[in-house]
Amino acid sequence: MTDKTFDLTRRTFLDRVLMASAGSVMATATPWAAIAAGAETAGAGKVRLGVIGTGDRGRALIQNIAKTRNCMVAALCDNYAPHLAKARQWVAAGTPEFSDHRKMLDARGLDAVVIATPLHRHAQHTFDAMDAGLHVWCEKAMARTVSDCGAMVQRARERGKVLQIGHQRMFHPTYLNALRRVKAGEIGTVTQIRASWHRNNAWRRPVPADSDDRRINWRLYRESSAGLMTELATHQLQVGNWFLDAVPTRVIGSGSICFWKDGREVYDHVALIYEYAGGRKLIYTSLLNNARYGCEEQIQGSKGTIEPELGRIYQEVPPRALALQRMQADVKRGHKRTIPIGGATWFPELPVTTPGESLGWGEYDETMLQFEGFGEAVRSGKPLPGLLQQAYHASVASLLGEQAMDRGEAVTWPTSLVTV
Amino acid sequence: MVGRLPAGLGGQGLTRAAASTRALAATGELCFPAMGTRIELHRFGDGAPDALTLAQRAIEQVDDALTIHRPSPATALNEVLRGGGPAKIDDPILFDALVQIDDARATTEGLFDPAVDRRLVTSGWPQLRFDRHAATLACDAPVALDFGGFGKGYALDRAILALREAGVECALLSAGESSIAVIGAHPLGGAWSFTVPDPRNGADALVEVELIDEALSISSTLGVGVAAPERAAMLRPGRKEAIVAPRTAVVVDRSGAIAEMLSTALIVADDAAARRLHDGVRRMLFDLAPAAPIRMFA
Repeated sequence: MTDKTFDLTRRTFLDRVLMASAGSVMATATPWAAIAAGAETAGAGKVRLGVIGTGDRGRALIQNIAKTRNCMVAALCDNYAPHLAKARQWVAAGTPEFSDHRKMLDARGLDAVVIATPLHRHAQHTFDAMDAGLHVWCEKAMARTVSDCGAMVQRARERGKVLQIGHQRMFHPTYLNALRRVKAGEIGTVTQIRASWHRNNAWRRPVPADSDDRRINWRLYRESSAGLMTELATHQLQVGNWFLDAVPTRVIGSGSICFWKDGREVYDHVALIYEYAGGRKLIYTSLLNNARYGCEEQIQGSKGTIEPELGRIYQEVPPRALALQRMQADVKRGHKRTIPIGGATWFPELPVTTPGESLGWGEYDETMLQFEGFGEAVRSGKPLPGLLQQAYHASVASLLGEQAMDRGEAVTWPTSLVTV
Repeated sequence: MVGRLPAGLGGQGLTRAAASTRALAATGELCFPAMGTRIELHRFGDGAPDALTLAQRAIEQVDDALTIHRPSPATALNEVLRGGGPAKIDDPILFDALVQIDDARATTEGLFDPAVDRRLVTSGWPQLRFDRHAATLACDAPVALDFGGFGKGYALDRAILALREAGVECALLSAGESSIAVIGAHPLGGAWSFTVPDPRNGADALVEVELIDEALSISSTLGVGVAAPERAAMLRPGRKEAIVAPRTAVVVDRSGAIAEMLSTALIVADDAAARRLHDGVRRMLFDLAPAAPIRMFA
């Protein structure tokens, strides 16, 4: 892609975000989107970011930061040298590199840090960065424990710093457009969301000779991760809370190591029901040995369904007027007419396979936009409104799901959460 | 082509909607799942208050006897026949169904065959020995019976009997709208008039038929539900390939069971047999090539 076509695509993307998030209803539901899309160029005054963690995800973030108008990577940090070496190609020559994040913080010259380390390190890295006077952008999920999630929120408040968590769906034009159409009543009252993230692989990375399994495959061990819940489900739980405009009242679930019995400690199969006020539900499954249904959220209303990952909206098919029922009514009012019968055998309630309509607008990487929003927040010293609350509740929901599965009992939404 | 098939009963052709003032106070309807589809029973006028319930019971008894989707007398019979049988047939409904199928062999030229099996090309009714007096069925090789659409027509026949015995003189019965049977004339007078849709486009009519004291069966290789998982393939006896030619058969007969067997026979018939079975009036076969006009077989 040339710079010119990139700029055109980028402009189209931002226009679509602005279109999708326009109006008072959407401004209330997505107050962050318009601010992020309206971020201004910074000239030489780009927000300087130090990236802690330059593994696969960290390097993907670095590439997205490079596309922004208002942010730049000013330092790299990783305690595993091969990761640093791989990240070097995406930043300006001479960008300082560190193997210890504290040394990077001490070196100064940064406005904020980007944390892409294993989950159990997020909280400490956040505390250290904020104590050093820096704003923080942190990968989801927030932290390994509910209390650490709350402590991160509190620390940001105490230090007066921006804490933003990586939930890119909140910046995705397709999701924003889907929410706009839900708010407009196009699919009626939303009472259920079915969400799934199904893969067919071990979710295990090869371990280089100079490293060890717990370091490379930290997602598979309970000390460092809640597995599918914190690494995948948290994205979709955020979508659930966002579209249902609430947090769950309680969660029940079942988890198992069902297929990949390779020494991992986290579940490879999870199935949960999150209950919301009014009897609404989010039904969630994630597994690692069947990919047919992939990653999707099916947002189900009385008039239709939205599948944002596929970018489709489907209207409910009205029940067919049964010819013989109509015949009864005709006879009662003394009216006789030919009865149009159905012909071939009637099969009740098979899945509906109507193609639906496109929600559109999904061809651009929304991760870039969330960094532009973060850059705007850092420059103004004001967090993008609404974002942290969404992220905090999503992380808590994912960790409560883990608790429900571990205990084999329903877990209610905590009353002691920090107010965002 | 949109034909108009007059009602039977000696060709009365009751196209005139007589302004009958039949008492409708005792109308009622009953809908329930059976025979793998939706059953609707509509009654009008006189008759016992529990007539519809009796008709429902009659249909469910046929379902219980002939189904192969759960344990039944039919599956018990199949178990014996798979082992090379002979089997004693104790269930009276199953026995009566076998008698009707055996009696209709000539009418359908053997083309309705509940014993055809795509896995066993040589399998078929001729390989069975049905002894009515001893109520036994025997075979020389493994065979399994699938009563398919016959069951729906047969069930409607049994329900019609139950309704008549309960004093009902006006009723419409439907099994999935592809099998219809009526008692008497329309409650407002004249024949019951039905439009059979073109399965390629439900908005177009294939044919209109009128019924009095008759049954209607529609079989098709096209349309909604043809590819449903529980739908058995249409097979011509002696061949293992399913019939896929775009065809729809529409048959009217006094017996729902006969109508079902004939509509199936028309679908699986080769051209020569179809010419003999098709009469263009009560036994109709339509060739429905994509994007072509409706064409009655000739």
